[in-house]
Amino acid sequence: MRKGMLLVCVVLATGLAALACSRTTTPPPAGTTVVFKHGKLAGDERLFAEILSGFERSHPGLTIRHETLPASTDQQHRFYAINLESRSVPFDLFAVDVIWVQEFARAGWIQPVEHLAPHPERHGYFPSAVRAATFQGRLYAIPWYLDAGVLYYRRDLLERYGFQPPRTWPELAAMTREILDREHDPKLKGFLWQGKQYEGLVCVALEFIWGAGGDLLDGGGQLEGQGAERALRFMRSLIEDGVSPELVTTADEEATRHLFGAGRAVFMRNWPYAWSLLQQEGMPVRGKVGIAPLPAFPAHESVSVLGGWLLAIPSRAAHPKEAAELLTYLTSPAIQLQMALALGYHPARSELYADASLRQVRPYLADLRQVLLAARPRPVTPYYLMLSQVWQGELSAALVGTRSPELALASARRQADRILELDRGAVALIAQ
Amino acid sequence: MTGTMRVGSKGRLSEAASGYLFVAPALLIVALLALVPILTAMWLSLYRHLPIFGITEFVGLRNYLALWSDQRFWSACATTLYFTGVSVGAELLLGLGIALLLDQPWNAAGKEQTEAERWLRVVMLIPWTVPTVVSARMWEWLYQTDYGLLNHLLMTAGVIEGPVNWLGHPYWALHAAIAMDVWKATPFAALLLLAGLKAIPPDLYRAARVDGASRWSIFRHITLPLLLPVMLVVLAFRTMDAFRVFDAVYVLTGGGPGNSTETLSIYTYDVLFQTLRFGYGSALASVIFAMILMLTAASFIVMRRRLHAVV
Repeated sequence: MRKGMLLVCVVLATGLAALACSRTTTPPPAGTTVVFKHGKLAGDERLFAEILSGFERSHPGLTIRHETLPASTDQQHRFYAINLESRSVPFDLFAVDVIWVQEFARAGWIQPVEHLAPHPERHGYFPSAVRAATFQGRLYAIPWYLDAGVLYYRRDLLERYGFQPPRTWPELAAMTREILDREHDPKLKGFLWQGKQYEGLVCVALEFIWGAGGDLLDGGGQLEGQGAERALRFMRSLIEDGVSPELVTTADEEATRHLFGAGRAVFMRNWPYAWSLLQQEGMPVRGKVGIAPLPAFPAHESVSVLGGWLLAIPSRAAHPKEAAELLTYLTSPAIQLQMALALGYHPARSELYADASLRQVRPYLADLRQVLLAARPRPVTPYYLMLSQVWQGELSAALVGTRSPELALASARRQADRILELDRGAVALIAQ
Repeated sequence: MTGTMRVGSKGRLSEAASGYLFVAPALLIVALLALVPILTAMWLSLYRHLPIFGITEFVGLRNYLALWSDQRFWSACATTLYFTGVSVGAELLLGLGIALLLDQPWNAAGKEQTEAERWLRVVMLIPWTVPTVVSARMWEWLYQTDYGLLNHLLMTAGVIEGPVNWLGHPYWALHAAIAMDVWKATPFAALLLLAGLKAIPPDLYRAARVDGASRWSIFRHITLPLLLPVMLVVLAFRTMDAFRVFDAVYVLTGGGPGNSTETLSIYTYDVLFQTLRFGYGSALASVIFAMILMLTAASFIVMRRRLHAVV
């Protein structure tokens, strides 16, 4: 308990100290060392170190020091926010979550990089990722690897009852009910998804809402509002009708993956990372899992939320030129392919999904390419993190039934308006 | 038991001066580590400081006015107060019970502290020594709906019919966090209270027994009044700690479901580090600071009054 506040104080103090005595200088580089910060990568660390030493070999005189931050996105965001605000930034290249790019670009913390992905080449990247990285018409980050929500299903169970993967949400609910009824297995759950109050819930809810033709941010229009309400009501009904177990309201990605991996559920919404883990030796569901695009509501398109990481260069980086070279190397087709084969990170370049060697290792990639092409980034605005904080609480309240979907959405809209208004004033102030 | 020394007026000044000299390094460190950040945070709370938008604008008390109409702030206040009241109350009562149990047999026999007693105290303290984040993870597993131990035990005992989604239920989630806090902090309370019990002179008990006092009246008229100072210390410490609760709840529920477990510290963390509204966040932090200051002052005043009444 004490630690929490202490941390807040310490971090605040450090941040303030950094603000106050921002004239500290970095030690002069011996040779040139490019510092690359990124979150903890899954899989074998040595494989990634090898990729980096490949760069050092082709660029004599350059040394890469790559420093790993905790896997938690929130912690990384805090680290970057504090460090990027200070005048000397202790790194030259770093990985940004797709939802931070607007914020960091708006703050002037990262520099435009469009020259690193000139126009004909830029079309090779998935358009939604490019959209998320474009602020006021300029590109501020290059997509590194991507993710999108997909539906995992138990192929064996669906085949046993003669089902195809569901295309609509009502279909999924009906299938789940029938399978649960006929399996007579009290341990078997229906459809798992992430409903804990955190960023993951916003992703899942947006997928339901978009799949009903609604939206959260541009919810002013009646149609969007109706879609959002319908989606939330449906999510709540999944729990009430027993299609989804009650535990989804506390579940995150790993909780659902463990349960599904133990063969205890029919369907699961998750990111593609789970696939190789489910196929591991000794997994009860090994070889019995299929991946499909997420269902939508009838007469609507299936839309997944785009996740993933991009590479950006701080405005105050000590070695921006060298960082740009490393960025170009890491986003090059050859290295993207290597990252995909060795570490399972999904390339940000769509043409790589046709690669035969990759398809052999990960047969679901053909589907994933379609999903990524149709995926949408979460609302592309510098205020996203503020908005998400509001949505997390309201969506969770609607799921557990402390608030009706109507009220939760109305409250979310009110708070969102206040945030946007707050900063409309800010924009005006800057324009002066 | 007031220990002020009366020194002759001649030696007094130099003694005071050397006293200040000795205290100076400690004061300096406290000032640098505590006072400066606190004052800076308060200063910052008078600004609208949004680094993302490059804004630093003096707004006076407007952040505090905004707090006044911030529903989330008030609900976090209510959650924090409820959490503090229930958990500290339970910790004090349970701690007192445990301390009395541990004190009784040996005290009656009038023996020295035995090996067993020493071990018992060490074992008792284990929950207190486990880092909060670790114990929160542990309790998260205990509370797990599907394969959690708690549901298994309750279902086997026939208390509940089906599994309960402890952390996903707006009512249970907060109480689950409270239960964890009680588990963790009760040993601390018990240990302090046990020390307080040990400090009560055995003569008083003997005299009371000679006079034929019942167990209850011994407890009511000797143990309780003499233990009161220690109880107030425990109360003050635990209240301050519980009021700032962060990691336990943050790991267990993240403030959910539906913000039902969002305490003031969690809300402040979100404002400061998730949404980077440094001015508003500092206003929140300053308000928490003021609240804790008031709680501390209140408990000190009560303590002093009680001490005077007892001694």
